Amino acid sequence: MNPTSWRGSVPFSSTVPQCETAVPGNARPSRNAVPPGDTADVWWFDTRAVAVTPAGLAGLDRGERSRAEAFLFPADRRRYQAAHMMLRQVLAGYTGAAPGQLALGREPCPRCGAAGRPVLRPGPGARPVPSFSLAHSGDLVVIAVAGHPVGVDVEQDADRCVCSLVPALHPADAAWVAGLGERERHQAIITCWVRAEAVLKRTGQGIGHGLGGFPVRPGRSAPLRVSDCTVRQLAAPPGYRAALALGGGEVTAPVWVRVCGHSGLL
Amino acid sequence: MNPPGRADVASVTDDLRAFLASATGRDELLRIPPGTALFGTEVGLDSLTGTLLLREIQRRFGVDVAGEDLNLDSLATLGTLAAFVAQRARPEGHP
Repeated sequence: MNPTSWRGSVPFSSTVPQCETAVPGNARPSRNAVPPGDTADVWWFDTRAVAVTPAGLAGLDRGERSRAEAFLFPADRRRYQAAHMMLRQVLAGYTGAAPGQLALGREPCPRCGAAGRPVLRPGPGARPVPSFSLAHSGDLVVIAVAGHPVGVDVEQDADRCVCSLVPALHPADAAWVAGLGERERHQAIITCWVRAEAVLKRTGQGIGHGLGGFPVRPGRSAPLRVSDCTVRQLAAPPGYRAALALGGGEVTAPVWVRVCGHSGLL
Repeated sequence: MNPPGRADVASVTDDLRAFLASATGRDELLRIPPGTALFGTEVGLDSLTGTLLLREIQRRFGVDVAGEDLNLDSLATLGTLAAFVAQRARPEGHP
């Protein structure tokens, strides 16, 4: 199965990814090429719109199947299966391999050596292998694909007080959000969270090591340099907040984003 | 020999279930068995919800799970977390 065929099975906005921002030097990105250094493709999906088929499930590897089986509730299992079927189909579009032939693995956490950043292992073909990051919140899944290690996170907007998270933030961000009104404060805390988690997911450092080691300046809307990467807010569907971190030796701000996926989400 | 627990494990377990159900809007979490792995894939809790849970434990029971259990073995299941919290619980507001 290639991306063209599943684009037809679920409602997509167009056959060419839409550009949220102009891509430097090329207004129409070529489909399925691994994005250039300072660009990430961002794929949005609603798992409810994804058909979980026997053929799709057959493409999951043993680790994915055992993870799926471990879920207590069928709805969680279905969301996971749909997300990983889509992950494989998206990645297959960049590599040319069949979804079921992609070898997914984990790199060790740079801090503790535990299983960290998920990676696509190079296949027998010579095509370059993209980096990716997957995040989900509720029924929403976002997959970022780039030529360098990339991290993405999405969370639902807070519908209750999340001020208990403030001590986990960097002190500068904690002080900044403390000066806001209640509603804006909750939104800013979630903004901090998705930015920090995107940065950590880029390196695969487990969130258990803390996410307050660097400020992410929730009041700033422009892309932000954090250690050796750039983090930027993504345009997320209503009710969600999302951020993306992209780095690599030669990548400098800003990070460009090409938006792909279901219509109606953005 | 361990000192006697300072809070009832069953009631802590119920408190944790109620908090998770409220924080996620998922009533089915009120029924998860003690053997459920909270932070694996069994119930699919994300890291933000997990952090909210640990903050709530600190606020309500005075237990800093991440600070007091360096290996984080207590996070294995709902039951191990409830037992850890029950044994170290301090009255609310008196850390």
